[in-house]
Amino acid sequence: MLLAIITAIIAALIIVGIVVAVFILRSRRAPKTGAAAGKRVQTLETVGVSSSLASKDASNGGTEVHASSGQTSVKNPADNLKSRFTALGIFAGVVFGSLTVKLWSMQVLSSSSYARDAEENRFTTVYTPAPRGYICDSSGIPLVKNRTSLTVLAEPSVAENRDLLVRLSAVLGVPLNVVRQRIQDASAGAQSQRTVASDVKLRDVAFISEHADAFPNISVQTRTVRDYPFGALAAHVLGYVGSVSEDELNNQPEGRDIKSIDDVGKSGVEATYDSLLAGDHGQRRVVVDAQGEVKEVASETQPTKGSDVYLTINGPLQYYCDRRLADLVAPDRGMIGSGKGVAAAVVAMDVRDGSIVAMASYPTYDPEKFIGGIPQDIWDLYNTEESHAPLNNRCVSGLYAAASTYKAVTGLAGLEYGFAGKDAQGKEMTWDCEGSWDGFDTGVPQKCWLHSGHGKQTFRDGIVNSCDVVFYNIAKDFFDHSKSEGGNLSDTALQEVIQKYNFGKLTGIDIAGEEEGRVPTPEWKAEYWRNVPASAQWTGGDYTNMIIGQGDVQVTPLQVAVAYGAIATGKLMKPHLFKEVHNAEGEVSVTYEPEVIGEPEVTLDHLNTVRDALHGVATENEEVAKLFRKHKIDAAAKTGTAEHTDKGDDAWFVCYAPYEEPKYVVACVVEQGGGGSAVAAPLGVDVMAKVLDMDAGELDATMGKIAGSTGKEVKDLDTAAASGGRTD
Amino acid sequence: MAGLPQIQSIKTPDKMVVNATRPRRFSRVPLPFLIVIALLVAYGLLICYAAVQNDPDYSFSRQALGVAVGIVFMLGIWHVDYQRFANMSTILLVINVVLILSPHIPGLGTDAGMGAQSWINVGMQIQPGEFAKVTVVLFVASIMAKYHGKLDDPREYCKVLALMLIPFLCIMTQPDLGTGLVYLFISAVGLIMGGARPKYLVITLIAGICAIVAVFIVDEFLKYETSPGVYEYRLLKNYQRNRLLVFLNQGENLSDEGYNLQQAQIAIGSGGLFGKGLFNTSQSALGYLPEAPTDFVFCVLAEGLGFFGALVLLGLYAALILISVRIARSSNDLFGMLIVLCVVGMWLFQILENIGMDCGLMPITGIPLPFVSYGSSFMLVNFMMLGLIASVWHHSVSGGKKGSYANTH
Repeated sequence: MLLAIITAIIAALIIVGIVVAVFILRSRRAPKTGAAAGKRVQTLETVGVSSSLASKDASNGGTEVHASSGQTSVKNPADNLKSRFTALGIFAGVVFGSLTVKLWSMQVLSSSSYARDAEENRFTTVYTPAPRGYICDSSGIPLVKNRTSLTVLAEPSVAENRDLLVRLSAVLGVPLNVVRQRIQDASAGAQSQRTVASDVKLRDVAFISEHADAFPNISVQTRTVRDYPFGALAAHVLGYVGSVSEDELNNQPEGRDIKSIDDVGKSGVEATYDSLLAGDHGQRRVVVDAQGEVKEVASETQPTKGSDVYLTINGPLQYYCDRRLADLVAPDRGMIGSGKGVAAAVVAMDVRDGSIVAMASYPTYDPEKFIGGIPQDIWDLYNTEESHAPLNNRCVSGLYAAASTYKAVTGLAGLEYGFAGKDAQGKEMTWDCEGSWDGFDTGVPQKCWLHSGHGKQTFRDGIVNSCDVVFYNIAKDFFDHSKSEGGNLSDTALQEVIQKYNFGKLTGIDIAGEEEGRVPTPEWKAEYWRNVPASAQWTGGDYTNMIIGQGDVQVTPLQVAVAYGAIATGKLMKPHLFKEVHNAEGEVSVTYEPEVIGEPEVTLDHLNTVRDALHGVATENEEVAKLFRKHKIDAAAKTGTAEHTDKGDDAWFVCYAPYEEPKYVVACVVEQGGGGSAVAAPLGVDVMAKVLDMDAGELDATMGKIAGSTGKEVKDLDTAAASGGRTD
Repeated sequence: MAGLPQIQSIKTPDKMVVNATRPRRFSRVPLPFLIVIALLVAYGLLICYAAVQNDPDYSFSRQALGVAVGIVFMLGIWHVDYQRFANMSTILLVINVVLILSPHIPGLGTDAGMGAQSWINVGMQIQPGEFAKVTVVLFVASIMAKYHGKLDDPREYCKVLALMLIPFLCIMTQPDLGTGLVYLFISAVGLIMGGARPKYLVITLIAGICAIVAVFIVDEFLKYETSPGVYEYRLLKNYQRNRLLVFLNQGENLSDEGYNLQQAQIAIGSGGLFGKGLFNTSQSALGYLPEAPTDFVFCVLAEGLGFFGALVLLGLYAALILISVRIARSSNDLFGMLIVLCVVGMWLFQILENIGMDCGLMPITGIPLPFVSYGSSFMLVNFMMLGLIASVWHHSVSGGKKGSYANTH
């Protein structure tokens, strides 16, 4: 400020100086005029005479001005115009004065704000992408890492340089037309550099760098890309990353700073925990000219790697599950249909805290192939019907009829409302199964899966043998007592119990793409069939279908696992994959806190009855019991077979173990695989055995690469042949 | 001023005798005038050198050549008696019109890619409108000189006014408003200093303002829609309007014009008190400053040498103008006085407009800064102007003194 004042004074002095100089100039003349003042009148007269003479001369035919000036040489012509000279002087003074004042105010008073603007112009911050954090299994085995990839980039103009294209093609071993196509691809922005090839060999890069003259406008960049040491292992859980989209750039989540250079998580854990995995950008403050060209680098900070996310997934167990599913569905060269079913999913959860220890879905995909964008050929392949949607995580988004696995919950509802278990006299209720049932006298009997009939069945028998007739009867009771039939029960009394076990609702697992499923209600049916009023009527048949988990029922394997966890423990745990975060220093910074999403209000006696019945399935149902016996597991289980009229049945199996002190629940489904006990049970029991091995610390730690789906299926695949073997 | 004592000393009679006997060449050198010119031209060349550093489109040697040729021109004109032009009004007018309209000659004229038909191509591109400034000065001075410092007759006044408007109207066919305004300003100085009646001057000023308002009003009726919502005016082009509007509400406009002005002001303001060093500028070196060597050359100085650097330039200009005005005052004929004052007026206007435009005091018009802006045409013109002033000094002041003293004694 002092400086400003001094400058102001100096500037003022200069202005005063100029003005004084002007006056001095005037006063220089003043003595002369002053001297002439005595003869003032005379002078004036002289001027008058001379000028009149001159004008006379001029009018008299233009005598030379020179001559007239010669005549008036007594005085300078300027003396007549003194006031006008003063005006000119003032004008000059105003010009220089105002310019000086303006410059002073700009350069001294508000210089700092202009200087700031100049700095803003001068420096630009260039961001470099930060490596993402690793994703590890519960014990710290990295499932997703990073690696560096040498990338050859070209300016868009290179596409017109044929010689250069030929040279690039020869060095990189990429066909000429592919090179041209890649350089012409403007999808990343018109001015952006185009990726000619990724993962280029160091030798080729060295060649290009050494012959820079022959490769103008070509640059090599070392990029950090995702590395998948186990290939497609847990691909659906991990998800994949991709270049940031316009939409993601514009809607950035709080605390996340996404730049256009970044890769962001597109699915799975990569997407959910994107802000944890993403690191801090490296910053380069560079001096750029008006054309945006970098002139020098002023400062540079290195990027910081993102935090490592540890999952609840157990690596070796996941490896077992992924491999087991691939072997089950596509044992022959990855051809779907060469084994059982067309797709399968298995999920294993710790019932105590909701940790998902394994989550596998087949067919799967190899995220490695998605680096730098999903290639068109793979995208097209995975969109064919034969590929059976490898990108779908069937554990959370696969919707299936729950089949007999529903019976544990619907049965519990029957017990709660007194339609099963002990009657008013305390006597065990029984039903007689003759193989078919026509409780509503429709004339079209509904069949039990055992067409020959189960004979006399208690509620427990009904679950152990999965007798449908028992449940048809319970359903009929619900229907008969419903308000619309003149009873005093709500029309949705059964559904309300089912919903208590989180069916028809999201479980809230920490990956995207989860489906709600469906618990059919009269309201839903009326809405669903609103254009076909004849089918919109809620009937007793809807009850009987629903109670055995068929018809319009839709559940995901994860929902079944969570519901069975609640049957085992009494509490619905929120399933989760996130275990903890290890920051850059390797310290645990965030740990997951288990969350209870619900505690269904049921009579403990009834719950124990259901548990006992499920235990019966695992011990008395011979087909299932022998599997458990082989692994010496004391479990509770339920099989299920979801029937389809047009394709093969979906096989279900769910179990929790150990029975006395439940720790884990395993749910699996084999799409169009056939009967639950025959196809799904061996898978589920094997997985449960490995889960318990893991719990005991005896699991073989072998892990290897999992292949992505080939997207191919066996020619003329007919899964319908696999049905008809329903035993539950 | 340094020059004053010298002239004072010339006044003493004994020195007078010495002067009369001394060889003409040495006695007739206006030393302060030459010193100021030398300093100004050297300073201008230095600034220009810094400004062209980062732009390969400009060559400093061409500018230096312009100075060299300019000095030759100046010395040549110095020794030509300006009085020869006194009765050549008609010829000067014809030369003016031919010069200004020459870019319209097919095959000769070019717009040099700048939009206005202002250049002719004779081996190199020159701007005849610039050279016409010299003839305009002579033309205006020769008309006014005929009235011996008293222009009272309304009819004569109107005649003079009409004649003076001719160069302006000619240049507006190119169109080049900036140079046209310089002509108008020269004419105005000629009218005022030539002794036109104040009443007429005020009336002319009011009429001029009315004419400008009228142009805007008529334009409002003449405008047409080029594309929906976009209007083009017929009399004042859109870019000219933009410049005016940018000047009126600074900081809000993000168009090219607004951007240029903003960058120019950042350059000036960020220079601070002592500047960043002439060869260490950021705004001009990094290309943020548009047209750095020509229209915005002052910003290079202000950024590089700061407030003091700018003051030095302003001081040199003030000194040049002061010395020139003194020569005008001492001139013993009206024609010589008017020539010098018209030149001074031209410089004043160009300085005001160029620097004023850079710092937001004036609307943007492409007017070069005398002795500093890149461009050999204008450099030549300036030296020719200096030659005229020197000629007036040579033939009227130093020579005329003899007469005046002879008269007193």
